[in-house]
Amino acid sequence: MQFWYFLTALTLISALMVVLSKNPIHSVLYLVFTFFCISGHYVLLNAQFLMAVNIIVYAGAIMVLFLFVIMMLDLRRNSPDSKTNLTKLAGAVVGGTVLVIFIAATRKINLGTGADNAFYNSQTGMVENLGQILYRNYLLPFELVSILFFVAMVGAVMLGKREAGERNF
Amino acid sequence: MNAIIALSLFGITNLFLGFLNNRKILLPATLLFVLIAFGLNLADWNHEYYWFHNMLKTNNLSINFTSIILVATALVVAISRGFGNDEEHTHPAEYYGILLFSVVGAIMMVTFQSLFMLFVGIEILSVAMYVLTGSDKRNLRSNEAALKYFLMGSFATGIMLFGIALVYGATGSFDINGIGNMVNQAKLQDIMLNPYGPILYGGIILIFVGLLFKISAAPFHFWTPDVYDGAPSIFTAFMSTVVKTAGVAATYRLLSISFPAVYGLWGNPLVYITCLTLFIGNITAVYQQSFKRMLAYSSISHAGYLLITVLAKTPTTNSSILFYSLAYSIATISAFAVLMVVSEAQSKSGKPDESFTALNGLATNNPFLAFVLTVSMLSLAGIPLTAGFFGKFFIFADAFSNVSSLFKTIAVVAILMSTVGIYYYFKPIIAAYLKKGDLEKIELSPIYKLTLIITTALTILLGIAPDLVKNIF
Repeated sequence: MQFWYFLTALTLISALMVVLSKNPIHSVLYLVFTFFCISGHYVLLNAQFLMAVNIIVYAGAIMVLFLFVIMMLDLRRNSPDSKTNLTKLAGAVVGGTVLVIFIAATRKINLGTGADNAFYNSQTGMVENLGQILYRNYLLPFELVSILFFVAMVGAVMLGKREAGERNF
Repeated sequence: MNAIIALSLFGITNLFLGFLNNRKILLPATLLFVLIAFGLNLADWNHEYYWFHNMLKTNNLSINFTSIILVATALVVAISRGFGNDEEHTHPAEYYGILLFSVVGAIMMVTFQSLFMLFVGIEILSVAMYVLTGSDKRNLRSNEAALKYFLMGSFATGIMLFGIALVYGATGSFDINGIGNMVNQAKLQDIMLNPYGPILYGGIILIFVGLLFKISAAPFHFWTPDVYDGAPSIFTAFMSTVVKTAGVAATYRLLSISFPAVYGLWGNPLVYITCLTLFIGNITAVYQQSFKRMLAYSSISHAGYLLITVLAKTPTTNSSILFYSLAYSIATISAFAVLMVVSEAQSKSGKPDESFTALNGLATNNPFLAFVLTVSMLSLAGIPLTAGFFGKFFIFADAFSNVSSLFKTIAVVAILMSTVGIYYYFKPIIAAYLKKGDLEKIELSPIYKLTLIITTALTILLGIAPDLVKNIF
């Protein structure tokens, strides 16, 4: 329990730093750190496979992609602030209200005493059980997600293909 | 369900047809694929099936929605003209393929039984739309629209996903019937009895933020005019018919199956959202100079009309939504079909002119196009003897048959707003018949002309005898 609090505090702080830090590279590094913390939560929830996948896919592949994009775009130049103060204020009010509502909503929840040992199955989050559920109960969404990736792939190729003639972007 | 599998395979087939280097074959092939899917869809009529461990459920309602989506898709494909002869800059095989994949997403949205399927369906539909919006790569407006749609759309999806997670946390189920049972029995309305109630509430609200974004209800409508305006007209026609129908159907399915017990929670905000949507959609449409942008705002207002009957929860809600979606879809498609040919004929320095002035004098040399435009505008405005009139009539009747006096207020607002609608829907008609213009005769391909005849005839037929389809729904 103590470790859980420590990890959660770390997650929240690093997630906040993603938003607050001025340098985009720092933001990405904080985001990587956030993903590691979340992976720690997965371990505490006895989901080791998800932990590994989370680190490999998010902290590994996707974040490296983010870094590449940021380096290519060279965002460090100080661009003038495009938002007016009114927009910022409205955003802060809306976001703050949602935050308050969700704090209020979760405040009353009784977390209980944790898992009941009599019914606790230590194998729940293991690869075998996950696979059984994924390829039996959730087979259809699993297959149809491939359509989603396929559309994204076709779209990326279509939009990214170099056209003859002058370049427009 | 069979339609989903078939369309997924057909989409891939379509991409391979691109290797044939024969652009002529793609349009008939795609049309055939959509029609086959239509037949497969109808094969399950009068049966109720659960598919793949309760992931999807097909019944007559979902088959009807799927049919409307497929009819709209077929009409959009028919007016696409094979995306022209520009070998260099258009890629019809990809466009048609992505279009078919997006229909897979739309069908998932109207048949989902698990929130997983809802999410995957919305994502397939949205990602396909982001790509198609930006498909006109040389047009800066199209690029802007695609980026805007992509960024806002991904945030909306993220918000909806968070909502789904919260609802799962509160009820322990992804199945919409399971969620409905939990919401009913656990008396989640009472915070004292169930501490998970507030989380459920938050989850519902966030899911609806995501869904209302997709059907472009105010205040989540800000992306609509820019995206609809920037996207190539053919894909705007697709977006404002198929995407909207699927979004409304998904919203209705979720509200009517999972959350009727907590009507007190989502009913009131949705009433305000509906009124706001009607107000913003209609009033802002009045000020538009561009026909295409006006149609974008009008699609916002039609989302408002559809939301009325979703809210009213009467026994006839099913058939009202179906009839309205059908009437709206065919009228919008014929409006876009006219807009496409006219704006291309009037193009200035390579850019199609989509303002109202482009329609000036349309009736002199193109009486057929002017007539099609008139019928579709009258239908969208809800003038009698068109399908749109009965669409609106059924919806207002639903609102008045609800006992709550609130619905009478909404109905009055809606009626007032549809009179505002008459003003701006008559602008193109006036431009076509009363203004002077120098538009030459526009040659239409046979399939294009046939599509316009079908949509116009259907609009008038449903306006005279709405029971023809109303009895099926």
